[in-house]
Amino acid sequence: MFNREKEEPTAVTADDRLSLVLSYQRSDIDEKKLKQFRARLIELCDDFGYDVVGHVEVIPQSKERTTIINASIPVRLKEPL
Amino acid sequence: MNRMSVAITVTSGKGGVGKSTTVASLGLGLAQLGYKVCLVDTDIGLRKLDLMLGLENRIVYDLVDVIEGVSKLRQSLVRHKEYPDLALLPAAQTRYKEEVTPSQVKAVVDELRNEFDYILIDSPAGIEGGFRNAIAAADRAILVVNPEIPSVRDSDRVIGLLESANVKMIDLIVNRVQPGMVRDGDMLSVERVQSHLAINLLGVVPEDKRIIRSSNTGEPVILDSKSLAGKAFSNISRRLTGEDVPFLELDSTTLITRIKRLFHIA
Repeated sequence: MFNREKEEPTAVTADDRLSLVLSYQRSDIDEKKLKQFRARLIELCDDFGYDVVGHVEVIPQSKERTTIINASIPVRLKEPL
Repeated sequence: MNRMSVAITVTSGKGGVGKSTTVASLGLGLAQLGYKVCLVDTDIGLRKLDLMLGLENRIVYDLVDVIEGVSKLRQSLVRHKEYPDLALLPAAQTRYKEEVTPSQVKAVVDELRNEFDYILIDSPAGIEGGFRNAIAAADRAILVVNPEIPSVRDSDRVIGLLESANVKMIDLIVNRVQPGMVRDGDMLSVERVQSHLAINLLGVVPEDKRIIRSSNTGEPVILDSKSLAGKAFSNISRRLTGEDVPFLELDSTTLITRIKRLFHIA
């Protein structure tokens, strides 16, 4: 009775899922659009002298009926030629 | 008392969240406060409000009859037995939602404005024709939401549709809240639901077994003095009229529950 392990709360997970679900719904974002978005970000990095060295993540998040697009782009400066 | 007539659509997107229960209880709550109230069931083909109010045996004409000119509006209204200031305009049970248009429903509601202070319109589930009929005459809307992802997502979509239909005043009722589950982290809190939807919180209604009893007996839960959900609906009715009513403390912490919690058995 005393050592009963508490299960992981599920409402936190639900809250995160809900945030993502609402962001997609509100901004009408589909996978195709996100793919194009990632491709453009890679081009943009290239224009500004960065090499993209890992997976580009684009994650829409919802806050107060506003969608915030978070992009995570691992880069390093291009080697000088 | 404000005699300006207000038409309020109660909607949700998702079915089974408690729209008709809400409409029946708020209707009675407003009538108890001395207002003249008409409940309009727009769920053509699947009416429920008559059962919720115990008026199912008194229906002669319905909304479709009024629209088609089969009956006059006044003779189609079913008055509540104990509260004659509360009337129901029932939906037709053997017809289809597609048989009426938003402008026809709006014309009926506009006629009701001459007699009633509040017109509560019970919307069917979904966002198709029936929903458009239900919002056509709305001055404001109440969104009934359960604290779960499918319900919140549908409601978010409905908010967008209401805003594009120019219904700007939208209030939120979070229904079927289980404070114990929220405390254990297994149910979205009212604060999180409100934060996601970003609309005004009108009320919070706890899960209550007495609601099932009330729909079986045809006596809305607001008439049940032992019901916490009934008390919550009573408070919401007063808030609707502009009164400043504090929210109920749903998560009462008694000594026994505190001891149980200490030993992880509550």
